[in-house]
Parts: sequence; structure tokens; C-alpha cells
Amino acid sequence: MTSLVTARGVSKRFGDILAVDNVSFEIEKGKIMGLIGPNGAGKTTLLKALLGLTDCSGELSVLGLDPFRQRKELMQNICFIADVAVLPRWIRVSQLLDFIAATHPNFSMSHAQELLSRTKVRHDAKVRQLSKGMVTQLHLSIITAIDARLLVLDEPTLGLDIIFRKEFYGNLLNDYFDGERTILITTHQVEEIENLLTDIMFINDGRIILDTTMDSLAERYSELMASGDNADKARGFGPIFERDVFGKTVMLFEGADRERLAGFGELHTPSVADLFVAKIKGAAA
Amino acid sequence: MIGNQLALIKRELWEHRAIYITPLVIAVVMSLMSLTGQVTMSAFGQEVDLAIFGASNVGETERRAAMTAFLVIFTSVFALGAWILMIFYSLDALYAERKDKSILFWRSLPVTDSETIISKLLTAALVIPLMTFAFVVVTHLLNLILWSVWLSIQGGDAGHLLWSAAPLFDNWAATLVVVIAMPLWLSPLIGWFLFVSAFTKRSPLLIAFLPIFVVPMLEKMLFRTTMFWEAIFVRSSTPPLFKGIDAIGIFDEDNFQITADTVSLLAQIDLGKFLSSPSMWLGLVVCGLFTTAAIYVRRYRDES
Repeated sequence: MTSLVTARGVSKRFGDILAVDNVSFEIEKGKIMGLIGPNGAGKTTLLKALLGLTDCSGELSVLGLDPFRQRKELMQNICFIADVAVLPRWIRVSQLLDFIAATHPNFSMSHAQELLSRTKVRHDAKVRQLSKGMVTQLHLSIITAIDARLLVLDEPTLGLDIIFRKEFYGNLLNDYFDGERTILITTHQVEEIENLLTDIMFINDGRIILDTTMDSLAERYSELMASGDNADKARGFGPIFERDVFGKTVMLFEGADRERLAGFGELHTPSVADLFVAKIKGAAA
Repeated sequence: MIGNQLALIKRELWEHRAIYITPLVIAVVMSLMSLTGQVTMSAFGQEVDLAIFGASNVGETERRAAMTAFLVIFTSVFALGAWILMIFYSLDALYAERKDKSILFWRSLPVTDSETIISKLLTAALVIPLMTFAFVVVTHLLNLILWSVWLSIQGGDAGHLLWSAAPLFDNWAATLVVVIAMPLWLSPLIGWFLFVSAFTKRSPLLIAFLPIFVVPMLEKMLFRTTMFWEAIFVRSSTPPLFKGIDAIGIFDEDNFQITADTVSLLAQIDLGKFLSSPSMWLGLVVCGLFTTAAIYVRRYRDES
């Protein structure tokens, strides 16, 4: 396995605020990594550092390049869709394609046109005339047609309806992802991407509080639904978080013996969303 | 690098359509005005409009002078339009992409900040002037054709009265030199506008022009001098490009003697004086500093 992204002690400070606080991690080739965190956790800042849009301290290497100092080389092999990086509204679809074809060495015009022909996006339309869903389709088509090694998605489906969101992730997996490419994705709608991910990272207050593969997540974390005495006994195993649902207690355990816990009630693998809440709230408690 | 520049400049023309719509509007309005007789000349003490000089008995040299003045009137309106366009374009060039939040998209492509900003500087200082020049040539020709038709209908000899009298190539060559030289002379202002456009959070026009008025006032109050104002005023009015006379004085009746020599615009231009002017080179250095500052701002500022 080769690392596409290597971060060692990366920090980014805005005045008094430490947006990213001494973060270290690796992303390997062929992974779909989810970066999950509450608002203001430092996700976007971290992504910007990865994309060379902001400088940071520490050691950061993306595709073997220093993202801030070698941004042009980096952008030939990296693509991103971000809620904050919107397509210009005045441009025509055909102009946008022409411009990217002229400036991006890894862009395939015919592939982009083929992808767009499956949508309702017309070539002579201006971006301002398209619906939000169509703009995202356009952006995804462009990015899919770029032979990039790393795709960064920052809240790519924000403000889209459920049909576009499903279609977006469907297209992402079918057209873009081929096992060679790598995706880093952040979103608040964790449930929708949970099944896509191979790896996951939680970030809170600028620090990474979880960094694991989805497979080992199922081994490490278990969620128990119990009531009454059983709940009290299970509490002895030191749940990292608990909440009440319909008069029962739902407890989340890290590294606990599943066989012994199973005796106290129903045992599941927690959803990413529940684990996320447990990790964030558990850390705050 | 050059491929990227062409794509980037094309992009500027897509976004800022005023670059060709403004001269187009000027061309149409001026042509309509000349057709309806609104553009008349009061040069050389006599009212010389189309009807008069078509039929008048003025001499060969006077007719050439009249035609030159006529052509220059067109050119000067285009030049004024180009200057206004240059101001508004350069103030918007790096501001619009932040206002519509497309800057991160543009920066997601493999194009450096320097390439982008150089394309905007080239658009302001070269593309707008050359576009203006092309419109000047086309408008001159179009109007000469329209006048010829009019004169022919009146029974006049357009070939003799208009075409042989119009020093077109001399005029165009001079215009080309002026449209290329003026942006070089005004480059510190263009650089300043681009820099303002890159850093300001709001109202670039106000931010750009406020210091131009406030600094001289402060200077006058604090030091009792007017160096800054003179630098700006001299810069915007009198490039060291013309022999003896300044840009405004060319057709001043008082110091104008009609001779074969003065009728040639090209003969008025002193390129040597322009290229050896320390202020011109100093201006280019100032433009370079402002442009570098604009690149720095676009590269290092965090948009969030």
C-alpha cells in the first residue's frame, strides 16, 4: 500500500484559534475516506491545507508534493468539489468545458460530453440557468472526466434533494471510482455515505479523535440496547456513551467483549452517526 | 504557459463582455451621429462638417488636416471609452471571482495565481487597447464608406475628396503606437486597481479612488506640498509621447500651423522620448510591485 496523503503534526492557526491542532494521518491509494466532524471542527481548513489553498505548519505531503508550494502540479492530479467552490454563474457549459480542456492536461472532453449527455444539462446553457442539482451533475461530470488520482469532496450534496443525492453517490461509485482512484469526502449526511466508505476519520476541535477502517470499526465498537438491571450491569463495562430510547438504554462500548455484552440485551454494530455523536459528546462529558 | 494565457484571456472576454460591447456601442453611436451630422468640426476656425468639406474648396493640405481631425475625434472617443473600461475592468477582475465565490473553483484547476493575474494585467493593458484599435479601424472605414455613398449621391468625387485626403495609414499607425504606449504610461494605476481588486472586501471603486483624493489633501495639510497630486495629474494627462505639444494641445488652434508635417500624426510621436523617459520605466516598476502584491494576496489570503 502506498500513501497518497501523509500528514505529520499539521496545525493551522487563525489568530487565537487553532483550527487544526497537531494532526497526523495517512490516506492510502484506493481508499474512500470519510472525514466527519461537527461545524467548526476544522474539516474545511484541513481540506484546504490538503488542496494547497492555505498554508499550514507541520509536514504535509499530498501525492508526494507540498500542496501549498506545488499547487499547480498538485492540481493536475487532484480534483475537488466543495460547497464553497462554486462554478461561476456567468459561464456557459461549453465555455467551461473548453477552458478546462485548455488548462487541464488530464481532462477528457469526449468523456465529459458523454457523461453530460446522460443529464439534462445543455451545452449552450449558462450555469446560472441550471438548477442546483444540475450544477452538481455538471461539476461531477467534469471531475469524473479528469483522470485525477485524488478526489476531495467537501459537502458535495449540500442543498440537493434526495434523488440527486442518491444519484450523485451512485455516479461517483460507478463512473469515478475504479479502485485506483482515491476519494476523501466530508459531509453531515453521514448515513448516506456510510456504505461507500472504506475508512473513516472523526475530527473535533481541530483534533482527530478516530481514524480507522470501516472493517475494524465493526470489531472495535458495539452498541447495546438494554433495560433495567441489565443496563446497570452492562454499565460496569464502561460504555463511552449512553442515551435513552423508548425507555431502554442504548450504550456504546469501545473494545468490549461482545460475547459477554450480548447477554445483557440486543447487540449491534453502531451506525457511524451514532458513533460520531458518542465520540463527540463522550469527549465533551 | 502560452496555451494557458490564451485560455485565460479568452475566459476574461467571456466574463467581461463589456470589453467588446463598449467599443461596439461607441462605434454605432458615433456612426449614427456622423450620419445625422452631429459630429462636426470646429477646427481651424471654420465649421467643417461632412457637407461642407465635401463641397468646399479648401486646399489639399487643409482637407488632409480636416480629415485627420475628423478621424482623431472618433479615435479619442474610443480612447476615452477604453480608459474607463480599463479602470472598471481592472477593479472588477479579482473582485468578481470572490464576490461570486468561484475563486476556489478557478484555483482548483492547474493554473497558478501568477498566470491568472498576469492574464488579467494583459487583458487590461493589451487586449482592451488592441480591441479598441480594431474598432477604431473598422469604424473609420465604415464611416468613410458611408460618407462616400452620401457624397456620390450628391454627385461628389469621394475618391478624390475623401479617400485620397484621408491619411488612414499614418493615422492608424499613430493610433496603434498610442494605444500600446498609453497603458504602459498608465500602468502604475492599472497595477493599483488590480491590487485593490484583489484585496478589498467591498466597493473597489471607492477604495481605489479615495486615496487619490485623500493623500494629496493630507500632503497639502501636513507638508504644504502637492507632489502626489502632480504625480497623478501629470501621469494621467501628459505622457512624454508627443513632440513639443501634449496630447490635448495637438489640435489647439493657437499653436497649430497647418503644414504637410503637422498633418501627419505619426510625425508628432516621439518614441525615443517615451522610451527614454525615467518616469515611464518607474511607472512600470510600480505596476510590477502592485501586481506582485495582488498575486501575493490571492495566493495567501484564506477565503473562509
